[in-house]
Amino acid sequence: MSHTRDRYAKPEGPPGDAPAVRVTDLTVTTPDGRHLLREASLTVHPGRVVALTGPSGAGKTTLLRALTGLLPAGTARTAGQVDVLGQDVFALTERELRTLRGTRLAYVGQDPGSGLNPRMRVRSLVRELAADRSAEAVTALLAEVRLPDDGRLAARRPGALSGGQQRRVALARALARRPDVLLLDEPTAGLHPELREEIAELLRHLAREHHLAVAFSCHDPTVVERFADDVVELGTPPPPPHPAPFTRTPAARSAPQSRSALDVRNLHVTFRGTPVLTGVDLTVAPGAAVGIVGASGSGKTTLVRTVVGLQRSTSGTIHLAGSPLSTGLLGRTREQRRGLQLVTQNPLGALNPSRTVADTVGRPLRLHRRCPSGEIRERVAGLLEQVGLAPVFADRYPHELSGGQRQRVAIARALAAEPDVLICDEVTSALDPDTGRAVMDLLAGLRERHGMTLVLISHDLSLVADRTSSVTVLEAGRVVESGSTVDVFTAPRHGATRALLGRYAPAAGP
Amino acid sequence: MTIKAALRITPALLLLSLALVGPWIAPNAVDTPVTAPFAEPDAAAVLGGDQLGRDVLSRLLAGGRDLVLSSLLVAVLVTGTAAVLGAIGAVRPLVGRLVERTADVLMLLPAVLGILLVTLSWPDGGRFAVIAAAVVLGVPYAVRLAASAATPVAEAGYVEAAAAGGERLWYLVVREILPNLRATLLALFGLRFVAAVYLVATAGFLQVGPQPPAADWALMIRENSSGLLLNPWAVVAPSLAIGLLALSVNLAAATLAPQTGRKAVTVL
Repeated sequence: MSHTRDRYAKPEGPPGDAPAVRVTDLTVTTPDGRHLLREASLTVHPGRVVALTGPSGAGKTTLLRALTGLLPAGTARTAGQVDVLGQDVFALTERELRTLRGTRLAYVGQDPGSGLNPRMRVRSLVRELAADRSAEAVTALLAEVRLPDDGRLAARRPGALSGGQQRRVALARALARRPDVLLLDEPTAGLHPELREEIAELLRHLAREHHLAVAFSCHDPTVVERFADDVVELGTPPPPPHPAPFTRTPAARSAPQSRSALDVRNLHVTFRGTPVLTGVDLTVAPGAAVGIVGASGSGKTTLVRTVVGLQRSTSGTIHLAGSPLSTGLLGRTREQRRGLQLVTQNPLGALNPSRTVADTVGRPLRLHRRCPSGEIRERVAGLLEQVGLAPVFADRYPHELSGGQRQRVAIARALAAEPDVLICDEVTSALDPDTGRAVMDLLAGLRERHGMTLVLISHDLSLVADRTSSVTVLEAGRVVESGSTVDVFTAPRHGATRALLGRYAPAAGP
Repeated sequence: MTIKAALRITPALLLLSLALVGPWIAPNAVDTPVTAPFAEPDAAAVLGGDQLGRDVLSRLLAGGRDLVLSSLLVAVLVTGTAAVLGAIGAVRPLVGRLVERTADVLMLLPAVLGILLVTLSWPDGGRFAVIAAAVVLGVPYAVRLAASAATPVAEAGYVEAAAAGGERLWYLVVREILPNLRATLLALFGLRFVAAVYLVATAGFLQVGPQPPAADWALMIRENSSGLLLNPWAVVAPSLAIGLLALSVNLAAATLAPQTGRKAVTVL
């Protein structure tokens, strides 16, 4: 660890056993009487790491945000007490609360990228809040969150960072304040396993060495098991995911063609002169499931964004079922756009905040005339049920949903278009294991019954091993290895693949 | 809607409806003298007389409708055009650059000069010439604001998802982007209303647009300024009316803008 011990002041006197955070029987209720959180209790002692687990929608984010004195708009605390560092946060004035949040309490949200000012460089972002503003301190902080400064990274802006890198910059910002209490909402989602363990290890190190009280929410049972000192399970049991058979107009699907469903040749993409993808090839057979893996920042997301037309390529070709697709969205027909659906990594921005879930999911049905308008409501309920959401969610707005629920709505919207190729960018990282498994079962079922082609981007290598037949490994914008999943995972030929597999023991020899 | 919100909207509603029905409830004719020129308030004329001895109260009641309607029309047209142009510009960067450069050039034109240009080249235009001039002069400012508010929304995941899902430009603009700009657009509407009142009143003061003997708040201020010391109400009343109108409409617009909810919750 490059961590210098004296960066933190030693705690004055032994606070000993006094908990840094104590929540007792906290209940948070919406105006219409739903409980976002029911009698939740949580105690975090300095020097200990507490994990919050529970199904998506159980109130993990609400509980963590309540510790900072913030509740979702329109909701109220109906019972319980929240003490942070000996102060009741709901009794504090706005000013005292701000001081508390600014100096002693750090919170890193689920979508940390949106908390980073897009106009500021990484260097200034970290320095902005730092107790020690020297350049060395910033470099040390970046090294601590495993973002070694190669001389260029600190000069980039958030837009030029990958999701995983943004997450680590946000963590560095939180640590820069030298807080006493560190709260993290899904700190390991969307990171590759090695990095996930490093971050978890870092959290434990911070707790042990600097006497920080750390609380984080997490879906990953292995991380929780290995790194948490205490586990708090939240749970209002959600409606169980119920993958009903997916109905589809039978005529819509002809016999699988021999040509590939998706064919990417020699794709080059540059961001303002910096090459991001260099000569990438990807071939996906109809009805196949293909994985794309790689360290964070290796260009996985850029590749799929280019494929769906959200990013223009500088050269290279993309063919969908044999017909060429133009680079960018403008030259693509509506049918081509329908055939290729992407579920993005960040569920928080993926839904229009002004429209209900039913509107959002129903729109592709209307747009692509997938069913008569009288049946749309029914189909929407069916789609929601498939992704494990009760029909009552149809009339809710995105701000009333948790991260995992929004992710499932985004999946339902993509499925509503009945795509030929579905691209999932880290779709399960915001879901608890049970829901994640149910969603993957649903997608696998669609693939088997209707020949839908699936492209999976994931850091969860066991998911890729279980669910895909072939895999492509990206490193620094180049394909370093591709082949059948079993071959690549059992006998990796390239160093980058071996590094990725790292601790992941290839027990996957299906 | 809460009682508090209703209270904030009431002044604007009252003032607007008073201005609209004013011509019908005016106690005296607006073009015949009922008292001495610049007479002080008395029983016959509650706010006294103007330069020709006409009833100030009646002229005040009658003189707001055209100003209010013109200003509202200008504000709606300016905000609507700017919102659509700004949102299109955010989705299609090329159009966006074109719109912004054009706006930059138009902004260099001084407002009074613009009004004179339009009204002199279209002498029979009357109030419509003033409205046209006010719209042309207002859109450049508004479009810059709308475009900068629309840009982050256009980059949001849901707009990308809709675009990738096959939605046309019009749907992206009207259904995906504009509803999420409600707060900004309402604030912009309030601002443009004040600017429109200012422009239309300036035109009235310059006597382009409404001509005497028509009753018009701006015209009243100009006509009666010579008698300010004899009967101050003949000038103060229409001035107050213009000021209150601008204030109350802005208060209502700010109240109607959504404060919370229905937006991605990222406070920290």
